[in-house]
Amino acid sequence: MSPDDKTPRLRILVLDDEPIVVKRLKPAFEKAGYEAETFTDSESALARFMEKPFDIVITDLKMEGMDGMAFLEQVKTRSPGTGCIVITGFATLDTAKESFHKGAFDFVAKPFKLANIMEVVGRLESALAERHDG
Amino acid sequence: MGALSGIREVLRLGRRKAPSTPFAARFKTFKSILERNNRVLTLMADMGDKLGGDYVFDRRYIEDACEQLSDQVFKLISDLSIITPADQAELFAAFENIRHFIGEELAGRRRTPDAPWILPLDALGVDSDEAAGKKMAVLGEIGKVIGLTIPNGFVISTAACEAFMLKNDLPQYVRQRFEGLTRQDIGAVEEASRDVRERIMAAPFPRALAREIEHAAESLAKRPNGPPVGLALRSSAWEEDGESSFAGQYASILNVTPAKAVRAVKEVLAGVHSPEAWLYRRHRGFQEHETAMAVGCQPMIDSAVSGAMYSYAPFAPEDEAIFVSAAWGLCAPVVGGQVEVDAFTLERRPPFECRTAEICRKTRKMVSSPDGGPVFAPVPEKEQDIPCLTEAQLRQLGEAAMRIERYFKRPQDVEWTFDAAGRLIILQSRPIIFREEPLARARQFDHIAAKAETIFSGKGAVAQRGVAIGPVHLVARPEDLLDFPDGAILAARYTSPRFTQAMDRAHGILTEAGSPAGHMAAVAREFRLPTIVDCGPALGLLKEGEVITVDATQNVVYRGVVKELRRYELTEEAVYEDSYEYRLLRRLLGKIAPLRLVDPNSPNFRPSGCRTYHDITRYIHERAVRALIRLSENRQGLLGAAARKLQSDLPLGLSIIDLDDAPCAGDKKTVLTVSEVCSEPLAAFLDGLISSNMWEDEPVPVDMGSFMASVTRTFGATPAGTEKLGRNLALVSKEYMNLNLRLGYHFTLIDAYVGENINDNALYFRFMGGVTDFMRRTRRARCIGRILERSDFRVEMQGDLVAGRIKKFHKARMLEKVRLLGALTGFTRQLDVKLRREADVERDAEAFLASIKNILEERDVTR
Repeated sequence: MSPDDKTPRLRILVLDDEPIVVKRLKPAFEKAGYEAETFTDSESALARFMEKPFDIVITDLKMEGMDGMAFLEQVKTRSPGTGCIVITGFATLDTAKESFHKGAFDFVAKPFKLANIMEVVGRLESALAERHDG
Repeated sequence: MGALSGIREVLRLGRRKAPSTPFAARFKTFKSILERNNRVLTLMADMGDKLGGDYVFDRRYIEDACEQLSDQVFKLISDLSIITPADQAELFAAFENIRHFIGEELAGRRRTPDAPWILPLDALGVDSDEAAGKKMAVLGEIGKVIGLTIPNGFVISTAACEAFMLKNDLPQYVRQRFEGLTRQDIGAVEEASRDVRERIMAAPFPRALAREIEHAAESLAKRPNGPPVGLALRSSAWEEDGESSFAGQYASILNVTPAKAVRAVKEVLAGVHSPEAWLYRRHRGFQEHETAMAVGCQPMIDSAVSGAMYSYAPFAPEDEAIFVSAAWGLCAPVVGGQVEVDAFTLERRPPFECRTAEICRKTRKMVSSPDGGPVFAPVPEKEQDIPCLTEAQLRQLGEAAMRIERYFKRPQDVEWTFDAAGRLIILQSRPIIFREEPLARARQFDHIAAKAETIFSGKGAVAQRGVAIGPVHLVARPEDLLDFPDGAILAARYTSPRFTQAMDRAHGILTEAGSPAGHMAAVAREFRLPTIVDCGPALGLLKEGEVITVDATQNVVYRGVVKELRRYELTEEAVYEDSYEYRLLRRLLGKIAPLRLVDPNSPNFRPSGCRTYHDITRYIHERAVRALIRLSENRQGLLGAAARKLQSDLPLGLSIIDLDDAPCAGDKKTVLTVSEVCSEPLAAFLDGLISSNMWEDEPVPVDMGSFMASVTRTFGATPAGTEKLGRNLALVSKEYMNLNLRLGYHFTLIDAYVGENINDNALYFRFMGGVTDFMRRTRRARCIGRILERSDFRVEMQGDLVAGRIKKFHKARMLEKVRLLGALTGFTRQLDVKLRREADVERDAEAFLASIKNILEERDVTR
C-alpha cells in the first residue's frame, strides 16, 4: 500500500441488509487504505452506484426487495469493469454457479474472517490492475 | 408443535422399548452419542470463537448455530433414552428451559418484566443493562470483571420503575402531554414537562414496591455504631453512558435518609422529563418508548477528594495524555463546574508520570450535611493552595483509567473519589466519543505502515481483536507469572489457563501454539485482552523487555510504540463489542457454553442441575458411558463378540471394546497385544504407563523403581483373565478412548478424543482414591492437581477428587498429554504411601514432572 497521497484509492461499495456486516467491513477496508461506502438496502446502493460507479462491489445475496443477483446484473450493465464479490450465509453450489455466471469475481460464505475477505479483495485488486495495464 | 410432541413420542418410545433394546442397537446409539457430543462441542467452540472479533458474522449465523445446537442436544436426549430409560422427562424440561430462553432472546424479547425489583450492584454486569440501566450495569462490570472498587448498593430495576409508572397510567399521560411537540416549541415543552413532573411526584408508589425499596435502603444505610449513612440516588437509563452520554441530563439526588428514598426515586424519574433531557433525546433521535429508567442507590461516601478524568484527553490527542480534574470533597460540583479544580495531565503508561499540574486556590468544597442533602463548606486555609492529589494517588488514577479504557476499548470519562480512608472508588464511567473523518484516518494509517518496523505479520489466529502496546514478558515457567509486570505483553510457547492469573495486568497475549477456541482464549476474551495464538516460531523474534505494538485486528506485530494504531482503534466509529449481535451472541452463549456439571459424583449431577446445553451434553455423555459399562459388567455374554482382552507385561486386566465398524488388527481375535492396539489415545496411554519401566534402570528422586513394582503388585493381585470384565474397560475407536480403571481403591477415568481436527480434540481426566487418611488423600489430590496444572490442564479439585481438562491442542501434543496421564496413573499408586508432609506435595509433583520429561521429549523426536 502506498502512502503517496496522490494515488487514487480504490472505491468499494458494500451492500448487506444486516447492519453488523457493513459496520464491521467499513472500518476494516478504510484501515486497509480503501474508500468504502456501505448500504443496507439495495435500492439506495443502486442509486448511488448509478450516480458514480465503484471499482469494487461486495454484496449479500438474500435481501428484501432487489436481491443480490439482480443488483449484480445492474452493476455489470452500468459498469462492466467493476469487480464483484458475493458474500452469503446460504452458500450452495447453485448460488455460487449463478453468481459466477453473472460475472462475480469470487464467492465468500458467511461467517468469514476479516483476513479472508481482505485477501479476496486483494486478489481482485491485482486482477483489475492487470486488466488496466493489459 | 414440534418439540413437545416430539418429546412425548420419545418418552413413549423410551418407556416401551428401552428394556428390550438389543445390545447392538444400544451400541450403535452410543456411537451416535459420541458423534453428537463432538458436534455440540465443536459448534459451541465455533460460536465462542466468533466473539473474538476476527470473524464477520450476522444474525442469521447466530440463528443457524442455535438451531443446529438445539437440534443436536434434542437428539442426544432421544439417543440416551434408547440406551437407558431413566429421567428423560427432566432432561427435556431442562432442554426446553434453555431453548425457550434462546428463542426469546432471538425474538428480541429480553425478559425485563420478570427481573426482580431490587438488584444488588455487585451482581451486575454489562448484560444487565436492560434491567439496571447502562450506567449501573457498566459500574457493576467495572467492579466484577475489571476488579476496581465501586460503591456498594443496589438498583431499583427498570421493571420496578415501570411498575410504578404503569400503575399510575403515567406513560400514557407523558405521551399525551408531549404529543406533537417539536424542538421549536420551547414554551410548550416546558409546560408539558412541568405537568408531567408534578404528576409523577404526586403519584403513589405501589405499596409492596415502596416497602421493598425502604427496606433495602435501611439495611444499606445501617452502620454498626453511629447514625445511618446518607444515600445517593442516581439515574441509570437504558442508553445513558452508551453511544450518547446523556452526561448531566438526568438527576442525582444526594444524601437522603432511607425514609425519603422512595421520594428521591420519584425525583429521579421525574428528572427524565425535564425540558433539557427531552430536548437532548429529541436531538439524538431517541423515541420516547426507548427510554427506560432504573435508579441506583448507594451510600454517600465520605469523600476526601474527588473528580473526573479522561483516559485520553480529547483536546490534545496527538500527544496522548490522561487528564484529571479534582477538588476536595464530593464529586458532584467538580463535574457540575461549581468549584475551583486542580488539573493534571499524566502519561498514559506506567508509572503514569505527571506531565503538568495546574494548582489553583480551592476555597470551598461540597460535603454531606448531617441534616441531609449536600452543602458547601469552606476549605481550611492550609489546604487551599496545595495540590489535592498526591503522586501516589495520581498513579492509582492513571492505572484505573487505563484498565477501564483497555476493557471497553474506548477512551473513558471516569468519575471517582478517594474516601476518608484513602480508598479509590469508581463512581461512574462512560465512553468519550470523538470521531475523525474516515479519509483522514485512512491516510494516517498509511503512514504507519510505511514508518513502523514489522516484526512479523499474518502469523497465527486472532483470539481477541484489539491493539496492545507494552514490553514483552516471556513466560516459560510458572514463576514467570508471579511478578507479571503491569502493562506487559505475555509471550509464551503454549496457551495455558494458568495465564488467567496475569490477565488483569497483561495488555496482550501472544503464543506459539494453541487454538482460538481453547480455554485460555475464552478467558482472554472475557478480559477483552488482545490475543494472537498459534504464531509459530515467529515468537522467537521477541526479546524480553522489548516494547512492541500488537495489532490483533490486522494480525501484525510492530517493533516499538505505534500510538497511531491505538488512536485509530479508540476512534473507531463502532466498537465491535458494543454491537447488538456481539451482545446477543454473548448472552446466548451464557446459556449454552458454561459447564457447571463437572463432578459426576456431586449430588447436583442430575438433569435438574443442567443449566446449559453444555451441562446436558456432559450429563448425557457420562450417563451413556456408565450405562455401557454397567451393561458390560452385567451381561458379559452379549459383549463376548465385542470385548477383547489386552495382553501385556503389566497384567492390567483391561477389556477393550472397539467402536469402529471395522476394527483393525484382526477382528476375530479375542486377545490383543499392546502393539496391536490401534486406538491412538489408548496406545499413547499404554506407552506412557509402560515406558515408565525404564526408570528402574537409574535411581531417580521419586524412586520410580518401587513405583512400578507397586503398580505391578496391585495389578497382579487379581490374576489377569479372571478379573470380571468391565472393571477395567476401554471403549475405543481410532481417535477416541474412554478408559475406566479401578486399580485397588483408585478410580481413574480418562476420556480422550484426539484427531486431526484441532477443534475436536479434548481430554478429560478424573482421579479419585481411598486407602489413606483424608489429609493424605487431599494432599495426593493436590499433588496430582499440581502436576496437571503444570502440564496446562484446567484443573478442578474437591476434597480428594481431581479433574483436569485440556482441549484443542494439536494431535501430537494431545497424545503427549495422554502419555503423561499414563505415567501419572502409575504414579498415583505410590502417592498413597508418600506425602507425609505438606511440603512433599510440591516436591513430589516437581520430581515426577522432571522424571517423565525425557520420555515425553523422546517421543517428540521420534514422531
